[in-house]
Amino acid sequence: MTIDTPKSAPPPHPLHILARKNVLAGLMFIAIASLGLWVSRDYPIGTALRMGTGYVPRLLCWILMGLGAVILLQGLKEKDAPPERTSLRQLMPIVVVTTSLVAFALAIEQLGLVLSILLLVGIGAIAARDIKIWELLIAAIVLVALSWAIFILGLGLTIPVWPVW
Amino acid sequence: MELLSNLALGLDVALTPANVGFALIGALIGTLIGVLPGIGPIATIAMLLPLTFHLEPVSGLIMLAGIFYGAQYGGSTTAILVNLPGETSSVVTCIDGHQMARQGKAGSALAIAALGSFFAGTVATFIIAAFAPPLARVGQSFGAPEYFSLMVLGLIAAVVLAHGSVLKAIAMIILGLLFGLVGTDGQTASQRFTFDITQLSDGIDFAVLAIGVFGVGEVIANLTRGEESRSVMSERITRLWPTREDFSLAWPAVLRGTSLGSILGVLPGGGATLSSFAAYVLEKKIARDPSRFGRGAVEGVAGPESANNAGAQTSFIPMLTLGIPGNAVMALMIGAMTIHGIQPGPQVMSERPQLFWGMVASMWIGNLMLLVINLPLIGIWVQLLKVPYRFLYLSILLFCAIGVYTIGNSPFSVLVAAFFGVAGYIFMRLECEPAPMILGFVLGPLMEDNLRRAMRISGGDPMIFLNRPISLGLLIAAAILLLIVALPAIRRSRHEAFQES
Repeated sequence: MTIDTPKSAPPPHPLHILARKNVLAGLMFIAIASLGLWVSRDYPIGTALRMGTGYVPRLLCWILMGLGAVILLQGLKEKDAPPERTSLRQLMPIVVVTTSLVAFALAIEQLGLVLSILLLVGIGAIAARDIKIWELLIAAIVLVALSWAIFILGLGLTIPVWPVW
Repeated sequence: MELLSNLALGLDVALTPANVGFALIGALIGTLIGVLPGIGPIATIAMLLPLTFHLEPVSGLIMLAGIFYGAQYGGSTTAILVNLPGETSSVVTCIDGHQMARQGKAGSALAIAALGSFFAGTVATFIIAAFAPPLARVGQSFGAPEYFSLMVLGLIAAVVLAHGSVLKAIAMIILGLLFGLVGTDGQTASQRFTFDITQLSDGIDFAVLAIGVFGVGEVIANLTRGEESRSVMSERITRLWPTREDFSLAWPAVLRGTSLGSILGVLPGGGATLSSFAAYVLEKKIARDPSRFGRGAVEGVAGPESANNAGAQTSFIPMLTLGIPGNAVMALMIGAMTIHGIQPGPQVMSERPQLFWGMVASMWIGNLMLLVINLPLIGIWVQLLKVPYRFLYLSILLFCAIGVYTIGNSPFSVLVAAFFGVAGYIFMRLECEPAPMILGFVLGPLMEDNLRRAMRISGGDPMIFLNRPISLGLLIAAAILLLIVALPAIRRSRHEAFQES
């Protein structure tokens, strides 16, 4: 899986160095390791023979921290690596997809399967810029019918289909 | 003949109407997602994991396996006709396959790809049947220290053979191990990394993580990239049978691809993608006139297409016999087995022969179905490429949401999947392959279990891993692999092997 990054030569600006893939990846691993170490700060460590709750987690976090630091340094040393650029248009799908899933999660037990599907499809469709209303309607109907047939009829799951009050 | 009686037992199981049906469903879904770019076998198998919970274990596994090798057939169709790899394992097929199509030999290329895949699939089925029992016997003699060392070797080999940065892959494994720790510590019953959320005290469900990272994450990644224009070849495919000349060039390549794929598939970290890349490099190296490659060389289609199918199938061997997943798909298959309470390992073959041999036999039946599904019906699959991604992603998203919800009837799981979706997108964007993370997540608890058992055997002496010859050998092999990949010369050629396209 490759992701297209702009090919233009990076202007010599310190912030652009920070935006390189490997630099960002290193920073990400360091951040996750720091978070893990902070959360596990009170876990008993024990000894190598009698490992406490915190032994393995803290060990793994320190290794991750070290790896993150090496990846970060490698990224800083790279010659002419293009910086990552993210436009608002690229961020939109992240927000839309997350929102549609959160809406589905909140709705499924109260509003039932049919309305939750409509919510997910309705919100999710915002990410498709060129979808037409009638296409959306047909997609929603097909997906409701298909989900009902597979999960309720076929597998006999006990998901509420309609709103429960 | 033990082999034949085993296969007969397997055919008994695989030929029940229900299991033939599930093999067909798997093959159809596999071809479908193989043809469609933007959704691959990992995401699909992850999405269907929750469904298999409601099926017989053997039926569920037959279906999931069908998706994996079915995708190898489907992927070549798009690669040849549209110059778009439907799967990463058919990336190299684009190079010469599409050139053949442009020279009006699309039918020939498709037929060679399908027949090569079928041949490779048949051979690989027999290889599994022949080599799995002895390997399982070896596995049964393994104790906890040997298992621990084997998993260390497996993880390291997976990193070395996977593409991309080795450091990042190791970091992703560690991350997977960390995610595997979330929940209640089995030894002390205290909570780890649960952030005081009660739903997390049971840990993160494997299927939720996989659906989030591979299903939701890929949807986000595809949406941010924008829709690529797909120009489907409008010319009719006239001749489906290869010419005598093409045929005589193709069959030695099929044999080479099958052998290479079968070997590379068994290795940890191997599988379909590695096999197809390696087969292409091999064909180009040994060709009398390498300049033909890139201009429609038949061997460039026959070799990689046989290799990816062989590799896809033989990668089941370590999973089925030792319980060690070599790639992300096998990690998902292990997840599917544990959902049913089956502990993967060498005992599966002796305790559940129906499951084991049924699955192996179904692979051959599935390959036969795929030949029929793909060759005469090729036109239908090509039409499917006209389905715009905007419909596809809505369906994927919905299936992810419902699937995750049904695992434990828990809306919270959907939120976790959404979280891992965003995380998965960030990983892909930063070129941190999520596959090693899944391997770490699956192997983490197993490694911890075997580590603790080994320590109990030895009374807390870590030298037990070095005192036992098999364990020592496995650890030495792991160390050698790490050393090799650190050598600059090897690193460069490894880089080139994956840059061939």
